[in-house]
Amino acid sequence: MKHIIIIKYGELSTKKDNINYFLKSLKNNISNNLSDIKHTITYDFGRMFIEVNEEDIEKTVERLKCIFGIHEVIVGYISDEREITNIKEHVLELIKDKEFKTFKVVTKRSDKNYPINSMEVSRTIGGHILKNIEGISVDVHNPELLVSVEIRKNEVLYYFNGLSGLGGYPVGTLGKGLLMLSGGIDSPVAGYLTIKRGVKIEGIYFESPPHTSEFAKEKVIKLSRVLAKYNSQVKLHVINFTHIQEEILKNIPHEYLITIMRRMMYRISAIIAHNNKCNILVNGESIGQVASQTLTSMRVINEVVKMPVIRPVACFDKLEIIDLAKKIGTYDISTLPYEDCCTIFVPDHPVINPSSIKAQEYEKLIPYKELIHEAIKGHEVICVGVEEDKTYEDIL
Amino acid sequence: MIYLDYSATTPVSYEVLDTISKVTKEFIGNANSIHSLGKKSADLLESATKQIADIFGVNSNEIVYTSGATEANNMALIGVAMAHHKKGKHIIVSKLEHPSIYAICDYLKSIGFIIDYVNNDQEGLIDFDDLKEKVREDTILVSICAVNSETGVRQPLKMIRQIIKKENIATIFHSDMTQAIGKVPVNFHDVDLASMSAHKIFGSKGIGFLYKSSMVKITPLIYGSGKSNDLKPGTPPLPLIAALSKAVRLACNDLEKRERFVGLLNDKIVNVMEKYPNIKINKTKYSIPHILNISIMNVMPETMIHALEKYEIYVSTNTACASGEVSHSVAAIYDDVKRSKHTIRISLSYVTTTEEVNKFLSIFKEVYEKLSMVR
Repeated sequence: MKHIIIIKYGELSTKKDNINYFLKSLKNNISNNLSDIKHTITYDFGRMFIEVNEEDIEKTVERLKCIFGIHEVIVGYISDEREITNIKEHVLELIKDKEFKTFKVVTKRSDKNYPINSMEVSRTIGGHILKNIEGISVDVHNPELLVSVEIRKNEVLYYFNGLSGLGGYPVGTLGKGLLMLSGGIDSPVAGYLTIKRGVKIEGIYFESPPHTSEFAKEKVIKLSRVLAKYNSQVKLHVINFTHIQEEILKNIPHEYLITIMRRMMYRISAIIAHNNKCNILVNGESIGQVASQTLTSMRVINEVVKMPVIRPVACFDKLEIIDLAKKIGTYDISTLPYEDCCTIFVPDHPVINPSSIKAQEYEKLIPYKELIHEAIKGHEVICVGVEEDKTYEDIL
Repeated sequence: MIYLDYSATTPVSYEVLDTISKVTKEFIGNANSIHSLGKKSADLLESATKQIADIFGVNSNEIVYTSGATEANNMALIGVAMAHHKKGKHIIVSKLEHPSIYAICDYLKSIGFIIDYVNNDQEGLIDFDDLKEKVREDTILVSICAVNSETGVRQPLKMIRQIIKKENIATIFHSDMTQAIGKVPVNFHDVDLASMSAHKIFGSKGIGFLYKSSMVKITPLIYGSGKSNDLKPGTPPLPLIAALSKAVRLACNDLEKRERFVGLLNDKIVNVMEKYPNIKINKTKYSIPHILNISIMNVMPETMIHALEKYEIYVSTNTACASGEVSHSVAAIYDDVKRSKHTIRISLSYVTTTEEVNKFLSIFKEVYEKLSMVR
């Protein structure tokens, strides 16, 4: 008997005409993720089968648990002995070390020429289990252990309860979005949730040297690295925001600092998104969290761009966001103590209900179009993968 | 020269030396500084720590660098005692510990802690029933070394942990793994705290670490500043840390193959030694092959060591940190005063060659016969 990994699809199984597109994307995503592991993938409309070498199984399953579009990951067994006596022995051997009190056997025959019908096979196997393992019983409604047996043309497939996958859609099937990454707790979570819906994300980060340090940028790269686990790779656009920020600070009434700054960031993001074929902007704004995230602020800031701005955590409580950040592994990075360009130069009393007309008037005090052009012209692009590029091979 | 005292310390390997010199020259920034040189050092520190953490399957923030195992033992035992004294003052150690553990226990005793010693059986293994009986409600810590430094007896830490935790889930389990790491496989998840030192695995002297599970709270012994770690503040010794990381990586390579090879060398020596009527082999079935302890009943061990030294052969009496005294571990296992006063420890490594062993055996024969005549 050899191992085989079985994947059950998430929501994408509800797709009709274009299901093939989703499945192909999922297969490619898995293939890319497993590029360093020798594997073969086959699939039908119900599930995907992945074969890898025995020693790579654990590693593969771990990786699959981070790929969107997968509802369940199951490690199954496959054997070419199709005799009923062999089947019941195999099942017994596979389950004898498992801990359970109740079980149920489900048999499927994709080979309808098999001489015994499915019900009969289940009954035979069930009887054999009951005879050989003490203290267990059959429960057809809520079994602790579900034994699945599939009789196929040349082989028999066995599997048990699987591990849940992340669900969602295969990354990239819904196009691309640009995530505004600050280094805080919220934006990586927003990115994660967007990736979950099949959107491949790129990141945009505003740095303000020397007011912000290399450490702050490094932190954003680290966050991107975590997201890359789900996104395969994150293309990170780094914008030097110093000049704009200094001009704003010098010329604009302080209560409007944040409003104008956010408007500039939105404008730049929209241009970068457009140039990189991203259809949406994504950010970690949460309603009411800070002055720039009141509904009025959101409206005044949002009005400078035409493309949709998705705010996946808009209606989450901070604690809910933190929980999710911990789950996906960004929380510990987000809480590293480096200033980013949104937290330096915070006015004592930022305006909570900014006016659109005032914002437009104030903006005329700086040559913002030129400044934006300058910032975009010099922007840096970093491709962040899961693995750290820096190695100290000679040193460590 | 034939060096057979690898359990006292090891020479620094060329690869490790290379790291020390490279990092000293190229990473001059303080890892706590915020400028780019500091960051360069901080990055290396992070990678070095991650490498160690990955090898042992733990988190980077669970590794605390120390000057070596003695400091790590202090940090662990006193740290636990200070943090948990309100829950109890009872501490259990085995009779097969490194002298530093006993010294710390003496100190803890002087400030009101109660130290209990768990028995071991004839094979050197911890007496599980005795341990079970001794763990009480107010037991805050049990410290049992993974491998005894004098006889090489290896303890089943997982089982010991299960016994301790079954009796008292809050009792913290520390293990001095200095003699185990790099010689035999270890699992940090069997313990809450573990000590080690780099100079036993071809790393530099002056560096080691304490593994501290994130679930365990201990009080720091040293106070200062710097972001690297709450328990060991100050400027991290980056060249030593990078060297430690490399030494750990190199030492944990091919552990099983190397252990088998050392086993063959050990057998070779034992086969010869057991033929001498006045030599007793202090080896049980749980001894790791790297440490071979014998008692030469008719020759004083110091005499033997100095005589062998003339031929540039280096062995030791018992653990280097307790030289000149009775071997407590041999006494604990065999309950024989003379036997424990006459011990010689021959410690081997995977770099020891068969040729060295052969030469040692023939010179030993010559020296031993001469010395036996004198008495």
